[in-house]
Amino acid sequence: MKHLIPEFERLKARLPPGHDATLLVPCLRRIQEDRGYIENSDIDGLVEYLGVPRIQIEEVLSFYGMLRRAPIGRWHLQVCRNVSCSMRGAERLLGQLTDKLGIGPGETTPDGRFTLSTVECLGSCGTAPVVMVNEAYHENLSVADIDALIERLD
Amino acid sequence: MPGIFINGEPVDTGEHRTVLQVALANGFYVPHFCWHPELSIVGNCRVCLVEQEGRGVGIACNMPVYEGLSIQTDSEPVRVQRKAMLEFILLNHPVDCGICDKAGECTLQDYHYTYNGETARSHDPKLRSTKFFPLSERIILDNERCILCSRCVRFTREISKSNVLGMEQRGDSMLVRPVEDRTLDDDPYSDNVIDICPVGALLSCSFQYQARVWYLEPTPSVCPGCARGCTVNLWHRKPEWRLNALDRRENTRILRVTPLENPRVNGPWICNKGRDLGALIDRPRADRALLKGRRVSTKEAIDAARELILEAKSAVALVSSWGSNEELRAFRNALGDTFTCFVKSDSEPAENEVVEDDLLIRADKNPNTRGAQSLFGTDAPKFAEDTDLILIWGEGVDFGSLPRGVTVLFLGYWLLPENGHAEVFIPISVQTERRGHYTNFEGVVSAFEPCQPRPDGVIDAETLFPLLAAPPGSPA
Repeated sequence: MKHLIPEFERLKARLPPGHDATLLVPCLRRIQEDRGYIENSDIDGLVEYLGVPRIQIEEVLSFYGMLRRAPIGRWHLQVCRNVSCSMRGAERLLGQLTDKLGIGPGETTPDGRFTLSTVECLGSCGTAPVVMVNEAYHENLSVADIDALIERLD
Repeated sequence: MPGIFINGEPVDTGEHRTVLQVALANGFYVPHFCWHPELSIVGNCRVCLVEQEGRGVGIACNMPVYEGLSIQTDSEPVRVQRKAMLEFILLNHPVDCGICDKAGECTLQDYHYTYNGETARSHDPKLRSTKFFPLSERIILDNERCILCSRCVRFTREISKSNVLGMEQRGDSMLVRPVEDRTLDDDPYSDNVIDICPVGALLSCSFQYQARVWYLEPTPSVCPGCARGCTVNLWHRKPEWRLNALDRRENTRILRVTPLENPRVNGPWICNKGRDLGALIDRPRADRALLKGRRVSTKEAIDAARELILEAKSAVALVSSWGSNEELRAFRNALGDTFTCFVKSDSEPAENEVVEDDLLIRADKNPNTRGAQSLFGTDAPKFAEDTDLILIWGEGVDFGSLPRGVTVLFLGYWLLPENGHAEVFIPISVQTERRGHYTNFEGVVSAFEPCQPRPDGVIDAETLFPLLAAPPGSPA
């Protein structure tokens, strides 16, 4: 986390003084983007850097499902299962992924390639069903599409 | 100071800034769970609903007052919405009042009977959660009963500043949990969260399953744990609910200690040491006077002590800083001229104890040092060459440290080996057996009342001192 402090300093400059705790979520997101997950040492680092009590960081980490405490696979498949996606076949996609990869939601394949998650609305109901692979949206997917997609990811 | 109307009556708001504060200060009760006068406003329980005329129903705890504001605390829309809120709060509550220690003083129970009173309409099974989660050696948490008001969390952040508790997860799964690397054991004020919990989620391990609260009554008292002298309530069985079976002592045992709110001294809080006052008083009592280690009647012991005082050429008294103002005055009036008096510290900080902090705890672990020193000065005890009699009143003196060959007259409370080492030992009453006053370090005088009977053979120090001053052979 230490090497990100210059970036955090630039964020800090945009806030009025005494509002360092506001940086907690942006800092956590940046750390996760950097390492892929948040380690205990990152929490300790933020306690020191932001002066926020440790419990408040733990609260934020447990509140937001998108913040991770453990490493995940190379490809993170996030299947939306809210109303629009479910009506357009998200459950079928999820079933296909579970069968093909041999893992359930929240699990990672033993080779470390894929992590499967289910998420709430990704904000793309018009192109349901949607699967987010790392930072990219894959829209209007059929079971055949998802098979082809998996093949392309190494 | 804007004037507002509550239920049509004009009300002066005084210094208060929110509708809830004004309503409570003027005798209009508005139910509330998460709001606490000493904590920040979060407005998450949504029960303190009031109707603001022309603007609908809102929460009173966070509603600012302004000139001409008109509030209804019990209108039809308020009743309907409040009832719905209580139904939400009880949706996953186990309603296990029958086995809950909080029953009888639980706000959720009271509000349910007052403002809802109907059986649940939900057919879904209630959510299950952790029970008996240990937050520390002293406190257990029942997550099923918790209504997530966050009072305990705010207490550890704003009052005790230990920052141990937090709310983890979200929604239905939300739980009060301690931080990963510490427990509430680090917080010397942790037990206050048990009092401020509006339901039976946070429970005291020492009080758990000990008694139903409606069989108990409080006696106002003063914590002798340090020079702050926090006012406390000592809870024991009501006389009309005496137990005839079990140990007779159960009838007078102090089952729990809670703060007695006192803005001049401790506010609504006390520290954990004060909560353990019961154990301090529950030690084996000395109830027989001793003459050279031999058991004698109090009368014989008093007569022997009179002889000693009469014969002494140079007598020193170590006066107790645990004595009440009344006892200290009685000592000065009766024996102040006979003895060279020094105030001693009866109690020193224990090994793992927090010595001093900036909330309540003081380094001086005696309740009445100021009261004693105002009568007997602040000099440390010292013994002249020719000292031949030392009167020791109370605890805290190592007999080995006294000059060799002096005669010791000991007035004590507990069954201790040194009682027999004194020439004369006379047992005197403890704080819970008499009434009196202590003067705290800031000069505030607080009263304590008796709640336990004085054992036979024990005498009040206030009665004893004039008797000691009388010549030998006088009636005792």
